[in-house]
Amino acid sequence: MSSNNESIGKTLSVVVALCLVCAIIVSFASVQLRPLQQANKNKDIQSNILAAAGIDKVENVLETFDAKIEARVVNMTTGEFVDTDPTIFDFEKSKYDAALSVSLQEKGVKDIAGIQRVTKESPVYISKKEDGSVDAIILPIQGYGLWGLMYGFISLESDGETVKGIIFYKHNETPGLGGEIQNPQWTATWEGKELPIQIVKGTAGNDEHKIDGLSGATLTSNGVDHAVDFWTGENGFGPFLAKVRKGALK
Amino acid sequence: MADTKEMKAVLFGPVLANNPIALQVLGICSALAVTSSLKNALIMSIALTLVTAFSSFFISLIRNQIPSSVRIIVQMTIIASLVIVVDQVLQAFSYATAKELSVFVGLIITNCIVMGRAEAYAMKSPPLMSFLDGIGNGLGYSVVLLTVGFIRELFGKGSLFGVDIIPLVQDGGWYQPMGLLILPPSAFFIIGLFIWVLRTYKKDQVEAKA
Repeated sequence: MSSNNESIGKTLSVVVALCLVCAIIVSFASVQLRPLQQANKNKDIQSNILAAAGIDKVENVLETFDAKIEARVVNMTTGEFVDTDPTIFDFEKSKYDAALSVSLQEKGVKDIAGIQRVTKESPVYISKKEDGSVDAIILPIQGYGLWGLMYGFISLESDGETVKGIIFYKHNETPGLGGEIQNPQWTATWEGKELPIQIVKGTAGNDEHKIDGLSGATLTSNGVDHAVDFWTGENGFGPFLAKVRKGALK
Repeated sequence: MADTKEMKAVLFGPVLANNPIALQVLGICSALAVTSSLKNALIMSIALTLVTAFSSFFISLIRNQIPSSVRIIVQMTIIASLVIVVDQVLQAFSYATAKELSVFVGLIITNCIVMGRAEAYAMKSPPLMSFLDGIGNGLGYSVVLLTVGFIRELFGKGSLFGVDIIPLVQDGGWYQPMGLLILPPSAFFIIGLFIWVLRTYKKDQVEAKA
């Protein structure tokens, strides 16, 4: 071991060289593996859409998704379908693109879900029955919980009023408390309820607009409540749902 | 060059005789968190073994060049890079597991076993021996993780590697699963029992009474 290891020049050169080598290795791995990771993420989202539609325990996610789910893009203001290709439409990216989204503040809308911006267009997923009629309409929803944004899907019956299911696939809520939004026992209580939904403390009983809040997770429950209110309301998918209720999908 | 006998000692010593979890009591936190199912425990074991082995190898390779004033930072940089690579690979090839292990893969960086071996062994030993030492300690960690994972999944969920072994009451079987075993604290009991059994068998590990 040489004694000049401790000189400033030596120390700096070792550290710089090491950082360079490590940076190259890390970036190489990240760039090379990105397509595979992206494919995995898409598959995960698709399986969540299927689960929201009530189709779970799927063997081949991609195949089932193609067969059962029709992805469309809707204009959020008019509620009409637009021609944007849903397979290349990047919902996450367009949220931060000034040309593709609007700030809720500028629009003068109260940002109850804590999402700041909404896209002008959004994907919706329509699951079809065997005979081609609409089984469920699956809408992407987002809202601020306790710690961060919660991403999920809510699926409605073809009447655009009755909840068929809700699922959150990405969130930062406390495991065991707010994290229970993923608990199948809780999400099962949503089935058959009617919009607008209110999450209440105590027992909701058989009230068709009320859901039991999660105990110990009031802020998360509020977040879910607001997210659902926002996305099914007039600034979310309201215009689209209004058309669905009039039978636009039939 | 070290002879095969010494290599064997370095490689298999940490498995039972000098187990990093049972004797050195390092790396307990991740042993609690990822052992609720055997598959997670296995993947975590492989990840940690690889990271320990390769970080020890690379650190040992450049040990004569590392200025001692920044040696911990240098070790951390190497370990962190390897952990990021492992995390990226997991996300690409085993997304569901990566999602479940989530933060714990990243936390391998702070796992005391990796740092401990780098500082205690790799800084003073040649690359090949350091690599074997890393594998050995990884195996020691794996033995404990797999044992705990086996017990927790079998008696907590009635399955192994996700395959049902014992029919559960809720599926019409006879076994009432032990809910406690699914929760992280149960790993404390199992690791405790593991150490007990190990020290009954290897009396020299028992600490001298004060």
